[in-house]
Amino acid sequence: MLYRVMDKSQLPALVRGFMESYEVVAPVKRGERYVFDTVDSPDQIALDYPQTASSAKKYLFPPVEAMMRFDARANLVQDFVQEVKPRVIFGAHACDISGFNRLDLALAQGKYTDPYYAARRAATLVVGISCMPTDTCFCQLMGADEVQFGYDLFLYDIGDKYLVSMSSVEATNILEACCEIAEATDDDRRAFRLATRRHQAAFNPDIPHVEDVPMLMDVFHFDPFWDELGGRCLSCSACASVCPTCYCFDIRDVLQEDSDAGVRERTWDACTSPDFALVAGGHNFRPTGRDRVRHRMYHKLNGFMVNHDRMLCTGCGRCVAACKADIDPIQVLRFFDEKGARDDR
Amino acid sequence: MTDSVGASPLAVRALTEAPHVMTGQEMLMGNAYRPWPARITSIRELTAHEKLFEFRLTDERVREAFVHEPGQFVELSLFGVGEVPISITSSPTKQGFIELCVRRTGTVTEQLHRMQCGDIVGLRGPFGRGFPVEQMRGNDILVVAGGLGIAPVRSLINYIHDNRSDFGKVTIVYGSRTPADIMFRDQFEMWRHRKDFDLILTVDEPDDTWDGEVGVVTEPMKKLDINPANTFGAVCGPPVMYRFVVEVMREKNISYDHIYMSFERHMKCGMGKCGHCQIGHQYCCIDGPVFNYWEAKNIQGSM
Amino acid sequence: MGAFSMITDNPRPRPRVVVVGLASCFGCQLQITNSEPHLMELLDQIDLEYWQLVTSEDMPDAYDVAIIEGSVTTRESEDLVRRVREKAAHVMAIGACAVTGGVTGMAENALARRVGEVYGDAVPEACGQMIEPRPVDAVITVDSRVYCCPIDARDFATQLQRVLFGSNAVREERALCADCKRNENDCFFNQGELCMGLVTRAGCNARCVNRGRPCFGCAGLSSAANLDSTRQACERYGVPAARFDKALQMFSQVPLSQAGRQGDDEPVAGTAVGKGAR
Repeated sequence: MLYRVMDKSQLPALVRGFMESYEVVAPVKRGERYVFDTVDSPDQIALDYPQTASSAKKYLFPPVEAMMRFDARANLVQDFVQEVKPRVIFGAHACDISGFNRLDLALAQGKYTDPYYAARRAATLVVGISCMPTDTCFCQLMGADEVQFGYDLFLYDIGDKYLVSMSSVEATNILEACCEIAEATDDDRRAFRLATRRHQAAFNPDIPHVEDVPMLMDVFHFDPFWDELGGRCLSCSACASVCPTCYCFDIRDVLQEDSDAGVRERTWDACTSPDFALVAGGHNFRPTGRDRVRHRMYHKLNGFMVNHDRMLCTGCGRCVAACKADIDPIQVLRFFDEKGARDDR
Repeated sequence: MTDSVGASPLAVRALTEAPHVMTGQEMLMGNAYRPWPARITSIRELTAHEKLFEFRLTDERVREAFVHEPGQFVELSLFGVGEVPISITSSPTKQGFIELCVRRTGTVTEQLHRMQCGDIVGLRGPFGRGFPVEQMRGNDILVVAGGLGIAPVRSLINYIHDNRSDFGKVTIVYGSRTPADIMFRDQFEMWRHRKDFDLILTVDEPDDTWDGEVGVVTEPMKKLDINPANTFGAVCGPPVMYRFVVEVMREKNISYDHIYMSFERHMKCGMGKCGHCQIGHQYCCIDGPVFNYWEAKNIQGSM
Repeated sequence: MGAFSMITDNPRPRPRVVVVGLASCFGCQLQITNSEPHLMELLDQIDLEYWQLVTSEDMPDAYDVAIIEGSVTTRESEDLVRRVREKAAHVMAIGACAVTGGVTGMAENALARRVGEVYGDAVPEACGQMIEPRPVDAVITVDSRVYCCPIDARDFATQLQRVLFGSNAVREERALCADCKRNENDCFFNQGELCMGLVTRAGCNARCVNRGRPCFGCAGLSSAANLDSTRQACERYGVPAARFDKALQMFSQVPLSQAGRQGDDEPVAGTAVGKGAR
């Protein structure tokens, strides 16, 4: 990996450099919260944001997306071209880039490539920024506090400067053209090490570190805990909307008004939706809140791990804020932690 | 990660008609969400609720590239109404045509039942992992089906029939609600005279003419004489049936990994993406729909 | 219904449609006319035989689809919807009043007292034989529904298309919050304000919250609504659960009290009401 340092004052020049050829989306303050949105000036960017309400997933996997147009009278697909805007996601935290990498595993890789996701991912540059954990961050427990790939540039805050990890030609070309960059000195490296330690020391110690979470998800699969946790579920799927790695979707046909043609589109869906596992005969494989919440947690904390060797949960903490019923992975970790403590006695 | 990015928007052109250089396989896999036109070539009424449809993909390259295993499924589209997963009921040995046994249960199947020969539908697939016919070769096969569960296993049964010398004894235990609900009866009865073939039909509600078994499929199963060392089980039926059927198969000492079950879930994309068909850590649509009992035991919520 | 196939080169058959208005503000029928740019395209696909809002003619005797706005508040309208059910192959309820009882449903609780408060002893004959307001499906089987107060014109068009041609798109049963989060709205609970999205059926894309107003719950309770958990959530965010329960009455009074009510179905209205009230 190539590293250089740049002065923080150069940041606006870098953003403007990207703006010449890309749409730039970045964290901006809106009301009391932060969201990823299109910016047309570097001043709008709030790079020191604690966490955005929702992830930047929406740029790779939009909430509603046209898949094809069809002729309803002939029952045929019509010629269909979808344009994908070249974009820079500027200022993503490590957990979110890690989230993109996990989405890649689910959607772009394996036997089938999702062509819509893959096209957006290929047309999107990612510029990461280091962060300080909030009270609800537990990315370090989910292996998402550091990210080694999946970005084009990553800016590590080392005081007056950024240590820049350069990962792609496209982004490096723009960086070199717009900013003055220098080799990292020993002082820079020392500053980086200190910043990393500060970051690591800042995680909320009340969120328990539990070993073997995937195994515990299996062992306690039938524990009454799930009745209690899932019994609270409001069945709203707010958790999935804000989650950086929820990728479940629904496919539906939408007719234009004259009913002669229409669009097959996909929309975000979630395993916490009551009818998600309903089959044609009327049988629902996960009819209760217990079944659905447990399944969601199982996929986040076990199922994906079994297939891809990493958690699907990135520990970004967004669902902690979004869920009004206090259902989130931290509750699961606490349950395992208390269970373990009881067993130790 | 960034292949080619410039100032102008990129485009996903995967849905445009394939250029002539593309192979059928490339057409099927380029955008696997794209349904291909298929013409209805035959319709046979099986019961009051089920019809057997035969389709022919209209594009020659797609048709030739479409090769399935017994137990796989397709997604069938009626644009504007929607898409449904349906297991293929014909054997791969029947080339150029795809048979689907469709129960009228929802809006798409309702409309399909009103369609006629010559009409066009959209098909994509084949999806999923079917029955392991290569592994099954040389062995006895015990097929247990309930209701519409006969559809995917008929693909296997017909495959075995067309490669008869490759397989040992075949026993079919097939349960239906009433005698009128039994599907493909003529076909199965025709094979009954063979020594290496046994057909046991059972119904929940017999009528006056019924001379077969009455009750659940597990009762006649218990009476079967099975050589567990070289028997494979193939099971498909309503969700409640599996637990009891595999229990009997285990009592007969058929190995965990010789008992194969086809699961029904809501398979929306067919490609292991949309999540609707997830069972535990697996996707019914790509890891299944056919799982062996060992795999199923290791999947939370499978049975 | 979905009786018609879209897949045809020929003109499609056009179902005969009637639009009936019961107790309501007629705002939902008005919303249909608000789909102006596409109204003609929509009308092109049906034979609109009767539309209460725009005609003084009598309702015809034969039709395929009946669209009903408003709640059932009298014995007379109860008879009407029963007659409609006998004739129509498909009955569609539109708007909160028809679907949940809506705003009119608030009078369900202690109807006799309320009637007495308004009319005293002299209930006008025009009121008819008043009964507790109830949604259409409390009287007859309803085949499809367009939710909200008022309905969304595009949503109405989509539902009508589904009636004509069928659709396997699942009408979501979940509560609203996911839509709000998708739109990245601020959550009212974070400011200690009540919002009914926690229990309200999704499908409107959180159109009120998108405009900065909390959800009133006009789409009705989601079939998966978790009232107990919601009350606890309210308290956690500094909203008294009693306020939530009170707010539920605006659009969900009837469904909530139906759960506890026995078959007390005697008319309490018409001329008899004045005497019995108070």
